[in-house]
Amino acid sequence: MDVEIRDRPAFAHLLVQMEKGDKIIAEAGAMASMSGQLQMTTRFSGGPRGALLRRLFASESIFINEFSAQASGHVVLTQPYPGDIVAVDLRGTTIFLQPGAFLACEPGITLGLGWAGVRSLIAREGLFRLKASGHGRVWFGAYGAVVPRDVDGELIVDSGHLVAYEPTIGIQVGLAAGIFSSFFSGEGIITRVRGQGKIYLQSRSFGGLAAWTNAHLY
Amino acid sequence: MHFEMLCRPAATAVRYTLDRGESITCEVGAMVAMTTGLTVSTTSKSRGGGGGIVKGLKRMFSGENFFLNHFTSQEDQQTLVIAPTMMGDCRHHRLSGGTMIVQGSSWLASSGEIEIDTTWQGFTSALFSGESMFWVRCSGRGDLFLSSYGAIYAVPVSGQYTVDTGHIVAFEETLRYRIGKASPSLIGSFLGGEGLVCKFEGQGLLYCQSHNAPSLGKLLGPKLKPR
Repeated sequence: MDVEIRDRPAFAHLLVQMEKGDKIIAEAGAMASMSGQLQMTTRFSGGPRGALLRRLFASESIFINEFSAQASGHVVLTQPYPGDIVAVDLRGTTIFLQPGAFLACEPGITLGLGWAGVRSLIAREGLFRLKASGHGRVWFGAYGAVVPRDVDGELIVDSGHLVAYEPTIGIQVGLAAGIFSSFFSGEGIITRVRGQGKIYLQSRSFGGLAAWTNAHLY
Repeated sequence: MHFEMLCRPAATAVRYTLDRGESITCEVGAMVAMTTGLTVSTTSKSRGGGGGIVKGLKRMFSGENFFLNHFTSQEDQQTLVIAPTMMGDCRHHRLSGGTMIVQGSSWLASSGEIEIDTTWQGFTSALFSGESMFWVRCSGRGDLFLSSYGAIYAVPVSGQYTVDTGHIVAFEETLRYRIGKASPSLIGSFLGGEGLVCKFEGQGLLYCQSHNAPSLGKLLGPKLKPR
């Protein structure tokens, strides 16, 4: 299976070239087009219970699609907003993804739901986070460009800009500064990222687009 | 005529270099900049050809403008830059006698010799393909320029190919499609978020767009203030 991320960073999408017997798992609704030799089957993501939790609390879809090749062919997978896509290769490790970021993974990956805490909800990141672990590649997307960053110690991230992080990273929510400047500087609530590991940031936030659009509507 | 694609794929524009007598027909409002040796005429007809009011009205149904702009060069080495309204990609297709069926709003421009008409693809297509009711039919010999929201990729179809609704940009007339379900089970198709898809068959070139505006709208809509 050969996966290419095309047209980065503005309109990134995946071209997945598959041979007979290959399989890939994708977020519901991610398919843009596919060869006739491929078959799509829909199933619950992480079992019915996990799927229901995911739907209720992480605003992710309950279902995922599995594409399997009966003969060589390709499938194009995409995300709803314009932006970049990144691949991570997990070797028995774990990565946490923010709601909506997951795009696709190889069959050796298990998707589960992790409790992110009430603090995370306050930071507008959602109560739950998607946990991907196992052996294989995971692809996730972002609105805007993706900036990977190695954290050693502490880093402050504006809410809505954190896309993915390794389990060695802890998340805390705080105010950017005092009450006054937090609300008037436009930064408001920020996320404190602590620990040692890799994080992925997005250069734009979807909430920012919504706020900008709202300001321009008559 | 020479052309160059600038700033692909996020905010693509097309820059033409035209010699005396060469012409480009494009969507109204697509011109970004041009040199002074070009004349512009706005009509509801294809250049030098048939059309008129009826064709203009049909074009309106396909999501295009009633009018067309014709840019004709009076001198050598004139420059014209055009771009679509939305952010996204543009693509060149060389027509050599065949016919291309273009999704309503994806037709951007074509060289003077190409005949532009509107076509109807049947009721199921109109209702379920996620595209406009009418399509633009381009035939003849010359250069055709397509645009879309998202990047455009070409797929040489031989046999069967499935495209999610809302992702078709254009296809050669040698291809046929019908509306079907994405997976063998009907329930699975809908639960899997794909719902109905367009199933192509035959031999020919197909252009698809990587992103589609309704998906973005579905995410953005709930976040907008009520009006």
